[in-house]
Amino acid sequence: MSIKENDKGWQSGMAKNITFIVTKDCQLACKYCYLVGKNTMERMPWEVARQAIDYILDHEAEMKEESVVWDFIGGEPFLEIDLIDRICDYLKTEMFRRGHHWFNSYRFSFSTNGINYHEEKVQRFIEKNRSHLSIGITIDGTERKHDLNRVYKGSGRGSYQDVVRNIPLWLSQFPDAGTKVTISSADIPYIKESVLHLYSLGIREVNINCVFEDVWQEGDDRLFEQQLMELADAIIDGGLYEDYACSFFSERLGKPLDCVAQNQNWCGAGRMLAVDAEGNFYPCTRFAQYSLREKPALIIGNVRDGIDHNRLRPFLTLDRCTQSPRKCIDCEVAEGCAWCQGENYDAAATPTIFQRSTAICLMHKARVRANNYYWNRLFRKLELEDAREAYEKRKKETKNVTC
Amino acid sequence: MLQYLVILLDDAAASFCHYSSAGRAPRPMPADVLRRGIRFAMTENLNVQFVYPAGEVPADVAALVESVDHVKIKPVGAPGPADVTVVDGFDGLPAEPAEGATYVLRTDRAALFARRGELAPVLARAARLNLVLTDVERFADADVAAYAETLDELAGLIAGQYAAGRAPQLNVLNDRLLLTQMNSCGAGETSLTLAPDGRFYVCPAFYLAPDATPVGSPDEGPAVPNAQLYRLDHAPLCRRCDAWQCRRCVWLNRQTTLEVNTPGREQCVAAHVEREASRRLALRLREAGIMLPGAQEIKKLDYLDPFDVRETW
Repeated sequence: MSIKENDKGWQSGMAKNITFIVTKDCQLACKYCYLVGKNTMERMPWEVARQAIDYILDHEAEMKEESVVWDFIGGEPFLEIDLIDRICDYLKTEMFRRGHHWFNSYRFSFSTNGINYHEEKVQRFIEKNRSHLSIGITIDGTERKHDLNRVYKGSGRGSYQDVVRNIPLWLSQFPDAGTKVTISSADIPYIKESVLHLYSLGIREVNINCVFEDVWQEGDDRLFEQQLMELADAIIDGGLYEDYACSFFSERLGKPLDCVAQNQNWCGAGRMLAVDAEGNFYPCTRFAQYSLREKPALIIGNVRDGIDHNRLRPFLTLDRCTQSPRKCIDCEVAEGCAWCQGENYDAAATPTIFQRSTAICLMHKARVRANNYYWNRLFRKLELEDAREAYEKRKKETKNVTC
Repeated sequence: MLQYLVILLDDAAASFCHYSSAGRAPRPMPADVLRRGIRFAMTENLNVQFVYPAGEVPADVAALVESVDHVKIKPVGAPGPADVTVVDGFDGLPAEPAEGATYVLRTDRAALFARRGELAPVLARAARLNLVLTDVERFADADVAAYAETLDELAGLIAGQYAAGRAPQLNVLNDRLLLTQMNSCGAGETSLTLAPDGRFYVCPAFYLAPDATPVGSPDEGPAVPNAQLYRLDHAPLCRRCDAWQCRRCVWLNRQTTLEVNTPGREQCVAAHVEREASRRLALRLREAGIMLPGAQEIKKLDYLDPFDVRETW
């Protein structure tokens, strides 16, 4: 089965996402990084990883999802490539030995800064696991935009050149791979040039999102809207919509939502599982202490005592309207407005996941306006060219991954 | 909307609920704090419930108490009359319960299962008995059968009293028969607690907790952060549930799931065992020709925890 064919299963929502926080170290100190507690000390010991795997595979009945995505994050996960290789070997062996329903229905997933992507150990791992692998390299756009935030710790030097040299190798191995771009206040003026630059590098799918934290300045929404409209013009005038996708533009965006029929929780926290170097389980990595500014870590168990299922109940019963303030419930452009459960928890007035942070509100509304402009312009153009039907058949959409 | 103000007259005031106040050093509520609390209750039209310690309260406090319409909650053996008498464990049950009195019995599961027969004199004389399982957060699936059996035996005692022309109430059996909606304790929504430190708390348990966080004061008024989370409409599990007799204890919720609006499995399962026992009591009374005015049909359910059927909502 090819990776592309595999995609169908992973995107159907039937996959369990299990994350190993293998290290809290990273070569970079990105200015927008939500990981406030990165350090060089907390590296996952093999024994903790093994215990986590044994616990998870021992509890097959509690994890009935058809497939599993074994996710590795940091810090920078490839700093721990030896550990990861050992974990993946053990996972494959154990899933096979146990006849686990995830055997041959698994993927190893990485989100990397790309700096040591070319190194021999990393490449050997990729070769070994190629058919069960997805790797995303984070590159923020042009050198100017990328180096604005993604700088080396200590020196503050930009990392663009060290990443971009690995993009051709990465795309040769994963031609359909997309990249994830994060937008903070200072990045807004560079959105258009950055997306176009990524397209020019051969990256056909750009998943781009505003940070959920309350970082926005007055007037950012107008600047953001202007950038997106200029980007829309460039994509449409250049015919780039045929082969490229940008998650900012979506046909499923900007409608009101019903509190009964459209009340699902957007975030997967609680259905996912994360484990750190201490062997603690979290509903998502965003609830580990290194991700939290204000609140204590929300631990749901550990590899020794197992998962406290009572602590998962709020996550698994949480719905959109219960956590939303009235302005979100009544919002006429609510569709597509995302949130991060971890950021909600961190920003809440009390230690709860039931208070939705609305720091992104004006940015979402600006996005909706630009999105409306994009589709109105594109569809008008396609209709004038009698190309609408052909476009609908072959259009490229993003996976719209926002965290 | 706030309707009740619980006033703890002392740090060592009796617990009438799941939390424990054992071992607390006495610290009476200062008279000026009490005065402000009473004034607040009067201006907000609140029903006042005074919770007493085991010993005497100071004379000035006792005098202030009588300045407002109220309910007295006292531990068994405390001096003076009580509207509600709290008994901590079976050993504290009075040999001769007072006719028409209201009792709260705090007990763990093991004692209840083993000594349930000792409740017969209480049900024969008291108007109402509230059972509080002090270790309900450890209620296990293995307890389901024993609790159901216990409640059935108590239902037999109640049915016998009905046949004899009395109508004692046992919260975990009778309440569900007559309720038409959730009747939880209301902490944080309809009820707040004034502690001896002069501040409001969601309930006494939140005051006694190591991370006690006040939610206002009589002078500043109530200030409950995320107050909506104490309301039923913001409790995804409970708002769909019809175990209406459940206390829906927000403190236990916080202990078990870390969220005040989400109960742990144990509280849900215990409440559903009670609901099912209430259903069987209703059938028993009907078969005996005893009609309860206003009683609603209780449907049989095939689950004990609403969480298990959330996919069907």
